[in-house]
Parts: sequence; structure tokens; C-alpha cells
Amino acid sequence: MQIQVKCNCGEQNCPEWAIVELQGVIEPQPAFQDRLQNLEIGQLCRASSQTYTFTVGYHELTGSKVPLKKPLLVLKKIRHADEEKVELEVIGIIRQRILFKTRPKALISSKFNLILP
Amino acid sequence: MEMVAEQPKSAFRGAEAVLNLPPTSSVSIAYHSLFGPHDDLILLELYEKLLPYVLHHRVTLRGQPDEDAVLCTMSKTYTVKFVGTSNSVLLIPPSDQLVLGGNTQDCDEKDRVKKLVAPVIKVAPGVMELVEVAPRIDRLKMLLSENPYRSDDALMSEELDEMGKNNTRFYSWSDLIDRVQASDDELRSGLQALSAVEIDGYWRIVDQNYMDGILNMLLHNLVLNDWSLNGLNEIEVVGVLQSDGFPCEIAQHCLQVYGSKTDDGVWKLDEKQTWVYAFDVSSLPSAPAERFSMLFRERPKWEWKDLQPYIRDLSAPGLSSEGLLLKYTRRTQPTPDAEPVFSAR
Repeated sequence: MQIQVKCNCGEQNCPEWAIVELQGVIEPQPAFQDRLQNLEIGQLCRASSQTYTFTVGYHELTGSKVPLKKPLLVLKKIRHADEEKVELEVIGIIRQRILFKTRPKALISSKFNLILP
Repeated sequence: MEMVAEQPKSAFRGAEAVLNLPPTSSVSIAYHSLFGPHDDLILLELYEKLLPYVLHHRVTLRGQPDEDAVLCTMSKTYTVKFVGTSNSVLLIPPSDQLVLGGNTQDCDEKDRVKKLVAPVIKVAPGVMELVEVAPRIDRLKMLLSENPYRSDDALMSEELDEMGKNNTRFYSWSDLIDRVQASDDELRSGLQALSAVEIDGYWRIVDQNYMDGILNMLLHNLVLNDWSLNGLNEIEVVGVLQSDGFPCEIAQHCLQVYGSKTDDGVWKLDEKQTWVYAFDVSSLPSAPAERFSMLFRERPKWEWKDLQPYIRDLSAPGLSSEGLLLKYTRRTQPTPDAEPVFSAR
């Protein structure tokens, strides 16, 4: 069996996708588990030219933009309804990611410290 | 945020908003309205040098449903392996691809105008990685060995057209590409290493007894017609062999296997190969250790040029011919300028 890898975008125009990568798992509150669509995860902020922060709930992560050693292609599997033929289409490329590799810093405790005498 | 709203909306949504985020600004990362597992979206890690091949439609995935897929360029073969990650990899499409799969853009439009949003379409569980591998030429050998070309094929080639091909399995180039995990170039050199020949659109290896028969006939004719060993005229040789009952393709194949074409357009029989040719590569074991032990059983000492045709199909990435010789042979060289001789370890 042979699967053709197709690409409609060409070398110069391959749309660039983005990755925000962090350690561990994002755990939505139980009330939202089944309806994540459109729910905000957090605020990504470019604090300075090098530093990015990602605020998720009461946690803040610090990270940076890192170029990937090897590019990633985003492929979409296309199954033709009439036949059994499967095709893969290149729909994007990823060359860099915003990487958060530190443990989150809790924001709430510092706030409490400020409020409580 | 007001300042942002005046900018063209599309430049500030999706992947662009994340990748081009100006210092001291922020963007909201949210689950996409179509967020889900999206198993049809695959991340493939690629060597930079392979990128142009992919973007110009020059790679294919090959393999049977029960095999791990391989990715092939024109000349190389790579296994495709899934490598999982425990990190959360949030995948964000660019603004013009925010709507995947043809759904309408009905979601929180008002929200988008108000603030920067980069929607996450899926959390990628890992990526597919490529590792260069040796082509699965073993399988090619197995397929072609099912039906080697024999003398009965030559006799009933016409009848075969009508009935035989339905019952017996023959393989055309495109059948082989579908079944053998190898790039086009590797498949071509695999066919060459197996001394396969294309007859009536199907690739065949030729039964050794049959090849011996045609070689005998060729040598017989050589003596009979007083031909020169170093100046065989192809048309004449093929014509005579044909009149002896060998098909044209097989007669040409015989010249290719046992001889070489000179610059003058005539064929020269390779003396050593003609006399020593005891077996063809397709009948030799594929495992290097067994291959060498069989070769050394046949002949205790080999010069490189004689040995090379019998082992050239064995080399694999990370295992060159030199590496094979080091591992499986003892090299002796009587004098520094003499040809090295290889014997069993």
C-alpha cells in the first residue's frame, strides 16, 4: 500500500503553526471537564524580549521561545469516502515553540501575603 | 487592548498572535471551539533536508496494513515511529486555518474582536519521528522467489498471457512498490542485486538451472561461431540464442549477468564470473554471517572484485561493505601492492 503525502502550500507559503508546551497536565475544574470548547486556559505574556510568562489559574510559568532542532510538519489524514484510499496532506509547519520547563509559581500565596497583615 | 483592536484582526489571532507577540503584550490561550482529540492531525518530525522533498510531493508512505509504515524519498527509506511526551503540547493553528474541516466560524466572534485569542485545537500526545533504515529487500527476494522464471515459462509465454497470470502471482513495478518497503532507487538496485529481469511487464528472477543452460548455449555458440570473448555483437548473440529457443529478454539478461558492455558497443564476457558463477545472489542467505560462510564454503579465498557482487546487497545504513569485511572476513595481502585476498575468519 502506498500513501501519497500531498502539499498544496508550497515551500514558501507553508502556514506556520505554534506550540505552547509546558510540563505536566492542565487540569480543568471538574465543572468544565465536558465543555472545554472556547474556555480560556490562561494568559500568555511576553514579559520582555526573551521572557514569556503563562498564567494559568493561580499559577505562573516562566519560559522562552525556542526554535525546534528539526521542523515539525502538521499532517492531516484525509480518508476518501468513496474508496479506501487514504492521503496525508501537509497543512502546516512548526519551527518554534514557547516552552515552559519550570515548575509553576503560585500567585495566590503572594497575594494573600499582601492582603493579610 | 484598544490599540490592538485597530489592527487587522487576522494578524492577531491564532499562531501568529503567539509567534509575533510584541514585548510587554499578552494573548489569551483558549480551547478552540472545535477542540478535541483530532486523531487525523499528525505531527511529523522531519530532517530539514527532507523538507523540500515533502513540499514537492516527492515522499510516500509505504507498507502493508500489518507493517509499521516507512517513509520513502526517491533514494532513502525511513521508519516512522511514534514518540510520546508527558508534556502538554498545545497546538495552535494560524488564523486562516482556525476553522478545520469546514465548520462555520460561529464561535465567540465578539470575544475575538475584543481581545487576542490563540485557540488550541488539540493537545498533541507526541510526534512521529523518522529513522533511516535499510530497505526491506528481503521481502523483495521472497516475493520474486515465489515464481522464478524457468524453461516452461519460455515455452508457454503466450498461454500465460491468457490463463497463468490469474493463478500464479507475478509482480509488476507498481505491485512491488506497494509490497516492498523501499525507495524507488533502493528497489531498483535490489532488483539489480538479485539479477532480476523485467519480462512482459513483470519482474522475475531467473531460475539458476535455466541461466546455466543459456550460459552453456552461449559458450557453445561462441566456439561454434568462432566469436571473440571480448567482442560479442549483441544483435548476433541474441538472434542466435533466440533461434535456440531462448526469449529475447532472457538472452539480453544473460549478457548483462555474465558480461559487460564495452565503450565500442560490444559485449565482453567476464571470464572469471562466467566460470566461477556457481550461484546467483537471489539464492544466497540474506543474513551476513550465513552468506559469508556459504561463500567461503564455495571458495576459501576471494579477491574483492569477485566477492563484491555477492555481498553488495548486504550493506545497510551504519554497516558498510568495509564493515562487513572487517566483521566476517580475514584480509591478507602478500605484498603491499598486491590485491588483498579475503578468507574466512
